[in-house]
Amino acid sequence: MSPLNITHRDTATGPVLHVAGELDYAQSTALRRQVEQLPLERGQCLVIDLSGLEFCDSTGITALLVARQHAQAADADIALAAVPPNLMRVLAIVGLDQVFTIRPAADAV
Amino acid sequence: MCRVDEEPEPSGTGGDADMDVAFTTLLEDSIEELYESAPCGYLSTLMDGTIAKINTTLLNLLGLTREAVVGRKRFTDLLTVGGKLYHETHFAPLLRMQGELRGIALEMKTAGGGRLPVLVSSLVKHGSEGEPLLIRTTVFDASDRRAYEEELLRRRQDAEQARAEAERARAEAEEARRQAEADRARLADALAVLQQSLVPTSLPDVPGLETAVYYHTASADRLGGDFYDLFPLDGKRWAFFLGDVCGKGPQAASLTSLTRYTLRAAALHDPEPAAALTTLNAVLHERYAAGGDPRYCTCVFGIVEPATELGHTTVRLASGGHPPALVLRADGRADFLPAPGGLLIGILPTAPIGTAETTLAPGETLLLYTDGLTEARTGPDRGNLYGEDALLAFAADRAPATPQETITALTGLLKSFGDGLDDDTALLALGVPATHPSLPPATNNPR
Repeated sequence: MSPLNITHRDTATGPVLHVAGELDYAQSTALRRQVEQLPLERGQCLVIDLSGLEFCDSTGITALLVARQHAQAADADIALAAVPPNLMRVLAIVGLDQVFTIRPAADAV
Repeated sequence: MCRVDEEPEPSGTGGDADMDVAFTTLLEDSIEELYESAPCGYLSTLMDGTIAKINTTLLNLLGLTREAVVGRKRFTDLLTVGGKLYHETHFAPLLRMQGELRGIALEMKTAGGGRLPVLVSSLVKHGSEGEPLLIRTTVFDASDRRAYEEELLRRRQDAEQARAEAERARAEAEEARRQAEADRARLADALAVLQQSLVPTSLPDVPGLETAVYYHTASADRLGGDFYDLFPLDGKRWAFFLGDVCGKGPQAASLTSLTRYTLRAAALHDPEPAAALTTLNAVLHERYAAGGDPRYCTCVFGIVEPATELGHTTVRLASGGHPPALVLRADGRADFLPAPGGLLIGILPTAPIGTAETTLAPGETLLLYTDGLTEARTGPDRGNLYGEDALLAFAADRAPATPQETITALTGLLKSFGDGLDDDTALLALGVPATHPSLPPATNNPR
């Protein structure tokens, strides 16, 4: 199991969280915590960059939904960037590709 | 010693001379001196036990003077009470009978009030006519031997005690193990009861329909996150659903329980597949996501109306973010039955629900499954997912197949995944028998 590694940087449009490793039952809580404490301002866009993601189960998806709720509560937007093909397929099955803004890469608009 | 190349020396000189000196000294050692100072005690008594003669060694051992003993005391007077008793009951009678006793352990008392363990041997001297004259006795100080024996005894007692303690510890460990096992069994019973509230133990018989099911729980506590059900709506229609809640263990189980009973109640209230899922979505969202703790499930909900005569059975489905159902056709094809546009149940206040409809001809089977099947990791390094394409090909290879044949084949497939199957997996198959059974009498089958 790869450890989860979350790095945070701020851009002109809002914070970017880069998530690397496995977003599974044991490790998703770390992302939830970090997201819940993330300061967000109205009109910003929180980007979650999943280019380093190796695995994501249902609890990982829950963490992404928590991030979406957090952004909505702050009147901010949220986007998932560089979603790996496997996760993209799952998001399409469960209909979340219609709920999240999906970007090819973190710096794409 | 003797050197062979020399003449033997005259005796009395050199090394031999030393030995001669030693012998001379021994010869000068009087018999009396040997008796008095021998390394053991001697005493001689008359046949009534009166002490007639005693050596210095024994007097010193007992701390007595010759004057106080000779002619004044009997042998038994020198013994402790216990020694005296033993002497009277065993020693003396045996000695009278055998004329000789060896190495009998007795206790003598010393002038200082102490006890002296001794080993006693006695011999009766007889006169020329064979009449007993006196008793000669040797007394060995057995203190050291007694101490040794006591040490042995103490060691044995220590060992015995250690053994007893080990035995007690073992018994305690055994008791703890039994207790743990009883606790585990009770927990397993509780979990089994709980598990039955999540999925039915058996499916009801549906007239005109065959059903089969398989449920694999990956977690050790057997509380799975997958669920399914099949139940009658009215005389003609049956509802069924199959889904997968997020998470694992007890939390997932409580979500599963809420989901199952919500769907059952919703279906009775409004038997439209999409309506049941819309109700479930509202309930889950209100219960979890609205409080900042999003929990959700994917689910296929269906209504089946078995054909009451030879003909097609209608199936209507609604899906919220669940993988598409699969149909094994009578002509050997296999098709997915997508219900696109649906979303995970429980994350938005109102969720889009996808719908689909199909008919099943005799010999055709509808399969619902959870993604434990399609997401199983395959390949030598478990790096690939089994996937929907492989599932479709697997089903096409086996079509047409009855529900039971389909489930049996898939159960074998799941087993072949080994540890690549790391998620719960539920399978539910409904099918129309290829040769439709003759209908029961109309009185038993109200329309």
